[in-house]
Amino acid sequence: MIRLTIDGKTTEVERGTTLLHAARFLDIKIPTLCYHPLIKPFAACRLCVVEVKRSWGMELVPSCHVACQEGMEVSTGSSHVLAARRLVLELMLARWPNVPILRKYAAELGLEKPRFASPLRDEREDACILCGLCVRACDEVVGASAISFAERGIGRRVATPFNLESESCIACGACALVCPTSYIKFEAEDHRGKPPEFLLDPNTAIYMPTAQAVPKVPSIDRDSCIHFQTGGCQKCVEVCEPGAVNHKMVDEEIEVEVGQVLVAIGYDTFDPTPMAQYAYGRLDNVYTGLEVERMLNSTGPTGGRVLLKNGKPPRAVGIVHCVGSRDENYHRYCSRVCCMYALKFAHVVKERSGAEIYNFYIDMRAFGKGYEEFYSRVLNEGANVIRGKVAEVVQAGWSKQKEGALLLRCEDTLIGRFREIPVDMVILCNAIEPRRDAEQVGRLFGLSRSPDGFFLERHPKLDPVATMTDGIFVAGCAQGPKDIPDVVAQACAAAARMMATISKGEVEIDPVRAEVMEEYCSGCRVCSALCPYSAISYVAERKVSQVNSALCKGCGTCVAACPSGAMTGYGFTDRQINAELEGVLAV
Amino acid sequence: MLYNEPSPLETRVLTRRFGLPNSASLDTYLATEGYQGFLKAAGMKPEEIIEEVKISNLRGRGGAGFPAGMKWSFVPRTSPKPKYIVVNADESEPGTCKDRVLIENDPHQLIEGVLIAGLAVGAHAGYIYVRGEYRYLIEIMDQAIAEAYANGWLGKNIRGTGFDFDLYTHTGAGAYECGEESALLESLEGKRGIPRIRPPFPAVVGAFQCPTVLNNVETFCAAPAILRDGGAAFAALGVPRAGGTKMICLTGHVNKPGVYELRMGFPVKQMIEEVGGGIRNGRKLKAFIPGGSSCPVLTAEECEGLTMDYDAMAARKTMLGSGGVIVMDEDTCMVKAAMRIMRFYAHESCGWCIPCREGTTWLRKILVRFHESGGTRGDIDLVGDIARNMLGRTFCPLGDAAAMPTISIVEKFRSEFEEHLSGRPCPYESASHMVTV
Ligand SMILES: Cc1cc2nc3c(=O)[nH]c(=O)nc-3n(C[C@H](O)[C@H](O)[C@H](O)COP(=O)(O)OP(=O)(O)OC[C@H]3O[C@@H](n4cnc5c(N)ncnc54)[C@H](O)[C@@H]3O)c2cc1C
Ligand SMILES: Cc1cc2nc3c(=O)[nH]c(=O)nc-3n(C[C@H](O)[C@H](O)[C@H](O)COP(=O)(O)O)c2cc1C
Ligand code: SF4
Ligand code: SF4
Ligand code: FES
Repeated sequence: MIRLTIDGKTTEVERGTTLLHAARFLDIKIPTLCYHPLIKPFAACRLCVVEVKRSWGMELVPSCHVACQEGMEVSTGSSHVLAARRLVLELMLARWPNVPILRKYAAELGLEKPRFASPLRDEREDACILCGLCVRACDEVVGASAISFAERGIGRRVATPFNLESESCIACGACALVCPTSYIKFEAEDHRGKPPEFLLDPNTAIYMPTAQAVPKVPSIDRDSCIHFQTGGCQKCVEVCEPGAVNHKMVDEEIEVEVGQVLVAIGYDTFDPTPMAQYAYGRLDNVYTGLEVERMLNSTGPTGGRVLLKNGKPPRAVGIVHCVGSRDENYHRYCSRVCCMYALKFAHVVKERSGAEIYNFYIDMRAFGKGYEEFYSRVLNEGANVIRGKVAEVVQAGWSKQKEGALLLRCEDTLIGRFREIPVDMVILCNAIEPRRDAEQVGRLFGLSRSPDGFFLERHPKLDPVATMTDGIFVAGCAQGPKDIPDVVAQACAAAARMMATISKGEVEIDPVRAEVMEEYCSGCRVCSALCPYSAISYVAERKVSQVNSALCKGCGTCVAACPSGAMTGYGFTDRQINAELEGVLAV
Repeated sequence: MLYNEPSPLETRVLTRRFGLPNSASLDTYLATEGYQGFLKAAGMKPEEIIEEVKISNLRGRGGAGFPAGMKWSFVPRTSPKPKYIVVNADESEPGTCKDRVLIENDPHQLIEGVLIAGLAVGAHAGYIYVRGEYRYLIEIMDQAIAEAYANGWLGKNIRGTGFDFDLYTHTGAGAYECGEESALLESLEGKRGIPRIRPPFPAVVGAFQCPTVLNNVETFCAAPAILRDGGAAFAALGVPRAGGTKMICLTGHVNKPGVYELRMGFPVKQMIEEVGGGIRNGRKLKAFIPGGSSCPVLTAEECEGLTMDYDAMAARKTMLGSGGVIVMDEDTCMVKAAMRIMRFYAHESCGWCIPCREGTTWLRKILVRFHESGGTRGDIDLVGDIARNMLGRTFCPLGDAAAMPTISIVEKFRSEFEEHLSGRPCPYESASHMVTV
């Protein structure tokens, strides 16, 4: 430990502590411009100077960089210190008179107006003040070195190599994060121009998956984590005291042997971008159902408040049903849940923002228990429901007052009129579709799919959770659009079916199955390619095919196809059949 | 090549071979006790070499005058890292032109000095960082290095001493700031020539993160004589706390400008009058810069009884610096002198720290305007105030170098600034004989 005195207060600090930190422990404020806790000291702005007593007299040193020494006597507010700081700020104000952080520090030092104007005066509030934080963050923290200082002396400026778009830039935004003047702007938007807070992806590279996550630990998003792109950064490791951050952790592949599988891979939602008339991705404040779910979530980006992109609550909201469902061009089927969740939105949005609500529907499908009652309740709450498909969503006008306002055009089929309704937020109730990888998953488990792409159950009424493959069950939206009560019921049913098999301890199989006569099998594998139940495997050691009798359904496809006559129905070889015939005829 | 007639008042130690036929060749060098200092040092322990340099009272000739022996002793001998010798031949200080003649006329003396430093600190490689504009010196230096390699004075097992040493030249790209030691090292490593944050100092973490001895050309060139004739003999040439001779670049309004080797402590008056042949056209002395444009300026009165050595200069609150003497006669406009000096520093500021980058530019603007009779009375104090608040507040000493002459000119020649307030054209003849910046 080192003892020193700052402004008459004696303190003890650890070796290596800078004067700036020591002063901060003592609650002594020192202004800084080029200092950042996660970046190595740079000592360029000279705003943080303090006076230190040396054997040869008083010396001004930058406190952000100079380490405490035993017995040091430091003054942070002497007239020399203040004069030096004032000059720094005066020189800066002379060049950048309107940058807020400079004005703030200048005001603290009682500096009103510089005595001169720089030849390079820049009036912008967000001018670059050449603090160098961005350059150092990009170099030291990120490790990309995509920006640096160009030119020398007064010509110094922040630039990319040759002022061209830098290939080393990984678009991490670290430069913008540290920039004290917002000269560097980084507006993270996805390809459709959505602000990041309404994306369902994490907002930061290290994040808590949900407020109720179990276990409640943050995880790292490899795609946005700088370390996985440049090998640098790891600032989280530096600040995590228990040392819990581990960038080396890799996914583990675990093999588990199971006898039955429930396929409940759920659904994807329809991307409404191709429906250009709804302006999704083109106009602000047009959202999909899932984005609004996120917004309404109390642990979501807006804390559950309904807000426009400009941060204000909406005055009128249009809710468009059947976007991509019941539509010849996209999905012919009904997505089943949209009408009800649209009514839920009508209720919640109205409750939370007081906005006027307009629901545009084709028919109202309040199909479940208590749902019709909920519909009546929403109507009583004053939601406007208009029967008619929305034709288009357009910008309301170009004047300043109308900025951001949207216009919904539709035909109201109940009054037989064309209507235009002004709103400031549009919610598109987009369709539920099969998961994008449903085909692969289907192939993996030998599942068929219905024409709409959802997995096919064995029988819609008599066997709704089983599939044509024994031991494989389906439930939830993987089988078809449905709401949570239905999903839960179906999943329980599937679980019960699986439990039944387990508790029995054995499976009953049909005696009708195929069998290989190995002595005739040439190992050509024609059969295995044809088997719809993946029941045939090839035994490399013996160079023959083999039938898994638990999987074989006895369909006979392979028997008919086998070119060498090695595949036979079990108990139905030609010899056996002939013998049977002979037996019968011998009578 | 020599650019001026030598003076009989010189004490020729470093320049002893100047004027000999083929003075830059190895043959001439060997014929005149060349490499004797190295051979002697090779038989000594490293501590003994450093002790000899300490005894010699050799102080750094690059400007700061730091004792060379002490600097060499800071290199951690036990460090497992390789150690380097770096020669600062960036000579860019206005008024200074001595390293250039030392290299041009006697490059082997520099090589020998580097070898001695290498023995003293256990370094086996060295770099000569040559100012970008001195391109022709690289050829001379490279030729001397090639000659030394060919004759076994560089390379493996030099002359059977068992000591290995490799020497390279490296050229700057034309930045004054690259003469500052840490910026030089950055530049040598191929980076932007901007100063490094200190500590650590180069002796501990220098070139390529390794311990490094960095000295001026003249400093290294003094080492052969010290080792050959003994530190005490060298010390005896000078004054108590600074030994040897100093290369003086006598410039400005003297009749015989040139580079002269004078013993440390040579009287200023005698230097101007006898070595420099007096001031042109019989005019009187107005101002005197003793060691390059970064030193505070002295008035004629302050030069009375002054001698050319570190302590005497310090007593008058200026510096011996690099020995770049600038003599200004009574017709010199001091406002213009200040303006010229500031133009140089504003042009050369690397732009790293605010007080220097913004301050020099602003001072340049104000001084240019002032010289054109566009100034106000308040500007005089403003210039002084800005310069005073730059002094000691900048990241590297370039800011100080800009501030010091400015402060002294404003304080000592205030009346000239006031005369410029009249609105009439500059009352003095141009200072164009002064160093062109
Ligand atoms: C905007 C909107 C609002 C809604 N509001 C309501 C409502 O208010 N009330 C209501 O009852 N219903 C509502 N629904 C319907 C509800 O979301 C669905 O009924 C329910 O989520 C379906 O559950 P699931 O388990 O079938 O599928 P999902 O919820 O989609 O779950 C499938 C899971 O399987 C995982 N998975 C996918 N592929 C694989 C694989 N190969 N390997 C391992 N795991 C995999 C997925 O990551 C996911 O976790 C709404 C739907 C939408 C779009
Ligand atoms: C802005 C600036 C420029 C400098 N330029 C030179 C130079 O051109 N040549 C030189 O030898 N030293 C120069 N120096 C001094 C060096 O930093 C360093 O102190 C010197 O080379 C050390 O050698 P010495 O101890 O032999 O003097 C400069 C210093 C500063 C601050
Ligand atoms: S862009 Fe911002 S962070 Fe970068 S140097 Fe300028 S002010 Fe500093
Ligand atoms: S004083 Fe500052 S800006 Fe000037 S040269 Fe040194 S580091 Fe660069
Ligand atoms: S904060 Fe210390 S010099 Fe900028």
